[in-house]
Amino acid sequence: MSMSDNKSFFSVKNIHAYYGESYIVQGVSFDVAEGEIVALLGRNGAGKTTTLKTLARALDPKLRSGEIYLGGVALHKMKAHEAAQAGVQLVPEDRRIIPGLTVEENLIIAQVAPNKGWEIDRIYEHFPRLAERRKQDATSMSGGEQQMLAVARALAREVKLLLLDEPYEGLAPIIVHEIEAILQEVKKLGITTIIVEQNAVAALKLADSAIILDTGEVAFRGTAKEVLDNKELREEYLAI
Amino acid sequence: MNYLFLQVLTGLQISALYMLIALGLTLIFGTLGVVNFAHGALFMLGAYFAVVISDAFGFSVALVSVPILLFIVGIILERGLIRFFYERSHTDQILVTFGLAIVIGEVLKTIYGANNLPFAKPSWGSGIVKLHEYLPFLEGFVAYPKWRLILVVVSFSTVAALFLLLQFTRFGLIVRAGMRDSQMLAFLGVNITRRFTIVFGIGAVIAAIAGLFGGPITQVEPELGMKLLIPSFLVVVVGGMGSLPGAVLASLLFGMALSFTAKYAEIQQIIIYLLAVVILLVRPRGLMGKKGLME
Repeated sequence: MSMSDNKSFFSVKNIHAYYGESYIVQGVSFDVAEGEIVALLGRNGAGKTTTLKTLARALDPKLRSGEIYLGGVALHKMKAHEAAQAGVQLVPEDRRIIPGLTVEENLIIAQVAPNKGWEIDRIYEHFPRLAERRKQDATSMSGGEQQMLAVARALAREVKLLLLDEPYEGLAPIIVHEIEAILQEVKKLGITTIIVEQNAVAALKLADSAIILDTGEVAFRGTAKEVLDNKELREEYLAI
Repeated sequence: MNYLFLQVLTGLQISALYMLIALGLTLIFGTLGVVNFAHGALFMLGAYFAVVISDAFGFSVALVSVPILLFIVGIILERGLIRFFYERSHTDQILVTFGLAIVIGEVLKTIYGANNLPFAKPSWGSGIVKLHEYLPFLEGFVAYPKWRLILVVVSFSTVAALFLLLQFTRFGLIVRAGMRDSQMLAFLGVNITRRFTIVFGIGAVIAAIAGLFGGPITQVEPELGMKLLIPSFLVVVVGGMGSLPGAVLASLLFGMALSFTAKYAEIQQIIIYLLAVVILLVRPRGLMGKKGLME
């Protein structure tokens, strides 16, 4: 059992994950300190989303080997709902707001299983727009509002590790600013976070450090500033 | 006026049984993603239990015990067999549930023989209701078998109860959410398989209700399950796989179509298949089906 000191609060050890027979995550290892915000970057198809889903213990991709520890707890032995109860909160790509449910029901459903995070009233205080729309069918809201709800839904649960998958995807620039502001607020809560984002510059603004993936392996691990300052690195792996 | 009213009433009565069986089918498909061809056999099992228990202890005992028995049978089937097929193809699911239906049919045939078991209606459900005494717009003498009216009332009450359960309880909220995105629910910490096991049990309870109240009308014999499964399955497909309101709508449509073509036997025999072909050609996902699902 690994020790959970501050520097390896979240620890990923040589994970290999597959979609069917497609070998996507090819031996990824990294450590994240408690409270650290990491941008997980890389070109399309580098395995970013697959890595994130593996960390959240989705059934698909299948984790064939490797170990994942959160505060010393072995996530790799868990199913998705058990990992979520252990404090992993995935805000997935496309937000995955549940259709046919109201805004409030989408928040209630997040608190069915232990452990609870913010009370719904507190969420409404911080997200007055969601309070206004509480009785509305959640998927009838705009993309930005749905992203807001997706973040709020994660906060409705106890979060030890927040996994954000493409939070800015498909949003107009002005809305991206709005979500950025929300994530800056979330940052103040000191939640350990991994953010996957095509918009690397936006992700690095938020992050303390960065991991660059290339064809399913870690190509770089360092500070956010190092990535922004290193032109070659950016051109080779991020095309920015 | 009388003719129209009676045809509508008969249509409702025909829909009632389809509706009950189709609801169970679509509930199980919508939550577990399993095409359950054994559902007709569960209905038949409900009818057999109802006859046997009703003969021995009276209908009221059957009324309470048959749904409980079927709930238990449902849970055992889901935990013992069906759950191993969630990740498998629909073809595998159909094969295993179809096989199960054959096994149940054959077991019943071995025990009770191939003939129809007489199902005596309870005294309070026998006889006729003189509708003209209650409905002043009917002219002359208009009567309808009481049991068939009871079937209509019971089946619509069951539909209403299911909708209330799904719409207004915490359990219902979880099931509704799970029907739309079970993976997201897992990411929110919800162990959805446990809930879905109960859903399978509820599907079996609805089959039990269909057996209890439908048995006296349909005859209770070992081919019964298959006879009702095919049109009920058609109801589910036409309504839209996994859509409960769709199943209700499609069963009403079929019931009315069968009732209003009663005078023309040749048409009546093919009318629901004809309707299914036309509807599915125009709208492959069914009346209220979700986009991309089984389309």
